[in-house]
Amino acid sequence: MWDKVNHMQKVITINLNGNAYQLDELGYDELRRYLMYAEAQLAGNPDASEILRDLEQSIAEKCQRLLGPGKSVVTTPEIAQILREIGPVENGGGAQHGSREADSPASPHAKRLYQIREGAMVSGVANGLAAHFNVDPTIVRVAFALGAVLEMTGYDRPPVFTIGLYVLLVFIVPYAKTPEERAAAQGASTSLPYRLQHAVEKVKAKFDGLHHRAQ
Amino acid sequence: MGTSLIQEKFASIRKGLLEFLILKIVASDKVYVADILRRLSTTEFATQEGTLYPLLSKMRREGAVDYDWQESDTGPPRKYYKLTAKGKSQLDELTEYWAYINQTFDNVGQG
Repeated sequence: MWDKVNHMQKVITINLNGNAYQLDELGYDELRRYLMYAEAQLAGNPDASEILRDLEQSIAEKCQRLLGPGKSVVTTPEIAQILREIGPVENGGGAQHGSREADSPASPHAKRLYQIREGAMVSGVANGLAAHFNVDPTIVRVAFALGAVLEMTGYDRPPVFTIGLYVLLVFIVPYAKTPEERAAAQGASTSLPYRLQHAVEKVKAKFDGLHHRAQ
Repeated sequence: MGTSLIQEKFASIRKGLLEFLILKIVASDKVYVADILRRLSTTEFATQEGTLYPLLSKMRREGAVDYDWQESDTGPPRKYYKLTAKGKSQLDELTEYWAYINQTFDNVGQG
């Protein structure tokens, strides 16, 4: 029922140094992988964040050159070509390498359950559960509401269990406070993809109309 | 060019020389990254942003180069790199040494 119109590729809007670009899904994955690798390479380099900004800037400029009237999406082959042009990041900074390398890939996708305040309706429980199980937060919220309704009709009582469960989670599930924790809540090992994802969320709404026209 | 022998024997030398060449390029003109890439692209030292940005950051941290932001007509502002006084004296020293080792290389084994 979801996939009736599924020969369209999903388009993802990303924010590179303050400009919005649209990529198809595979291209987005490729870019994400590139930037994660770059960040891992630059671990311990005091200029890491500046270098990553430079790289994002350069990717953005190259995307910009491909786009114009009648073309608003950067395709997967195009993004692959851009990343080949830029080349893998070599840590020329001569920084002490290895300390973070040792502990980060051990659990590359270790997800932890957190409450996520950004976009939360109440406290971020549903938001955190959604990120953890990789579903839309609305589905989790509907499930809670449905649970409450079922409890009321089935047991003929106020939804103490459902609400109790929610309140319990509010108290026992920690908040994702740092970017690293927020990344862990999403199942990413570094903060950068989180930043990208977050940027996606932020501009998605704005560009929703454009998506349709683009396809 | 660049056989496997050269790759093997000159890998670390080339890396060091790239930095030296960047100093030379930055000394000759106010350049941004795409200019540097273009000037190197036809040489043995052709390189990519993935290598250049970390290297320029390191050179800036060491005080050899610095940059100014400059507006561009076609896009966002760019970092234009310039040589600092320290970079200038590094370049002079390296140039002198380079001439010296070339001379050594030519002369050694003769006589």
